[in-house]
Amino acid sequence: MSQARTPLSPQTARRLTLDTDPYLSCDDCFDLVDSYVEALLSDPEHDLPAMRTHLAGCAACAEEARSLVCIVAEQDGLDPEPALRRLEDDPT
Amino acid sequence: MSLVSADDRVPPELDLADTEPENWVEALSLPGPRQDHAMSSLHRMLLRASRHQVWRMRSALAGVGNERLEEIANQAADEAMMAVLAKLSTFEGRSRFTTWAYKFAILQSATEVRRFAWQHREVELDDLTHVHERGPSPASYVEAADLASAVRCAIDVALTPHQRRITIALLIDEVPIDVLAQRLGTNRNALYKTVHDARTRLRAHLIASGHLATPHPQAGTS
Repeated sequence: MSQARTPLSPQTARRLTLDTDPYLSCDDCFDLVDSYVEALLSDPEHDLPAMRTHLAGCAACAEEARSLVCIVAEQDGLDPEPALRRLEDDPT
Repeated sequence: MSLVSADDRVPPELDLADTEPENWVEALSLPGPRQDHAMSSLHRMLLRASRHQVWRMRSALAGVGNERLEEIANQAADEAMMAVLAKLSTFEGRSRFTTWAYKFAILQSATEVRRFAWQHREVELDDLTHVHERGPSPASYVEAADLASAVRCAIDVALTPHQRRITIALLIDEVPIDVLAQRLGTNRNALYKTVHDARTRLRAHLIASGHLATPHPQAGTS
């Protein structure tokens, strides 16, 4: 059932008002995510603002990016936490 | 706080011990025994990634048995294999081939899981027109005491009906984007763009009403 009639939680209000500029499409995100994840795993300070903004605004792409971080880290014997933390950073 | 949950870890039994080709694109492209071996290695690798993804999202599939989960992972790996082979010529080496290939399996299996989890659920496309009757009027929304109330009002007055329906479904009702795309016969890109435009309108409206701060000139420029 739709939640449209219930009060908005602060988290939902924030999700609705997130600044998602600079715009990046889901296809562009998919094109970039493999090199972005490798860069994050080798340098957690690596930044690609459009990518980080997209991942903050698209739950599906974000879940898939986190998963890719975990599987590549596992394969390479790396700690995924710094990269995952970077993905969680507020882009604004 | 640790960001690595139990779901993030790759089950140890899924580890791949086989030797992998040094040049995947060449090995997959040239007919012969090396190609057969590369195909087999690629499929094993994609299955590993698909199982990893299904495992991560298994809480969305409560009550679904291991056999069915394995079927979902296998089906996703098969479809990812076709996608990887179709896109092979586009691989530019900006990442390792394995990382590049994993993303296809992750996308495919995550999409499968979301669709499977929602297969018997209805998706309501609510346009929130009742807010006019039940909530503050558009004229009085500026007096809303808190951001959440102001956002609710802004949804009603600042968005087109299409933006309103898509935004409510994705961001309030939390319908997965792949599920909504499938039901509407569209794609993830188009829906995300609609939500991006809706967010831009909502923000402009709420900035004008004083509920959101004006962004710093250097921030969020495209």
